[in-house]
Amino acid sequence: MFSRSSLFNEIKYQSQNSNRYLSSGNEQLSDLKYGKVSDVTLDSLAEAFELLDFQSNEFPEYDVEYANGVLTVKFGHAHGTYVINKQSPNKQIWLSSPLSGPKRYDFLDNRWIYKHDSSCLHDLLSKEISEILKRPVSFGDCDYT
Amino acid sequence: MLRNVQSKLRPILGPNSPALSQAFYHKKVIDHYENPRNVGSLDKKKTSVGTGLVGAPACGDVMKLQIEVDANGKIVDAKFKTFGCGSAIASSSLATEWVKGKNINEAGEIKNSDIAKELSLPPVKLHCSMLAEDAIKAALKDYKTKNEKEAVRN
Repeated sequence: MFSRSSLFNEIKYQSQNSNRYLSSGNEQLSDLKYGKVSDVTLDSLAEAFELLDFQSNEFPEYDVEYANGVLTVKFGHAHGTYVINKQSPNKQIWLSSPLSGPKRYDFLDNRWIYKHDSSCLHDLLSKEISEILKRPVSFGDCDYT
Repeated sequence: MLRNVQSKLRPILGPNSPALSQAFYHKKVIDHYENPRNVGSLDKKKTSVGTGLVGAPACGDVMKLQIEVDANGKIVDAKFKTFGCGSAIASSSLATEWVKGKNINEAGEIKNSDIAKELSLPPVKLHCSMLAEDAIKAALKDYKTKNEKEAVRN
């Protein structure tokens, strides 16, 4: 519908410092390292979600699916669905939470950090999944926490 | 795009195939995608116009949203141009509809969650509504910055 190149040229002239999507903090992270780190992070999270301990009648629709760099965790109709995915062009991991909405995480100091408030992906998951399960759950033993 | 796939698959799968229905855009998204509101540009040199440009060219979504504000701080016009998926186009189209007629403070209170809810966006597409919220905020910020400068000059 629109010309890709004209919009893209325009964005080049914008003040890049004010645009959080043109992330500059990860330039030292090579594609290779990003690929490895993000795979390990998502593998480890997928495993943690698969091993999550609860009575099967609590969340009968619970489902964990991990494919092509996209981890989808369904808690069922009442609680919603988490999507955690690789976003390779920006070297980020994106989270979509039914409780707190979307966030984009950058890999800084060996952890996945949301730059707006310096919070960490795994801390947010620990907090929210504890709320859903109504008991303390920690993702602190996963990789890159 | 998707609707072509849909129309091709329908004769095979029947109109109410549950396995496929999950992959469809909500009808409100399709509506905005097929009849986008307020497409176009405003003159970004004008002091009364604020321009927000957000997105990541590398991953394909770029959104430009512009507002024109009158002397009372009311948004009298809004335009957008978006390169992105159906949800990104629908989110920005809806955002222009919503900001029109609001004053600049009210417009700043539009939340990505409101946009996502209105369009029934699935979890993986919440990021598109966030981009639209950011585009509104960027346009408001640009307008305010311009007008502070103007005030200093006078």
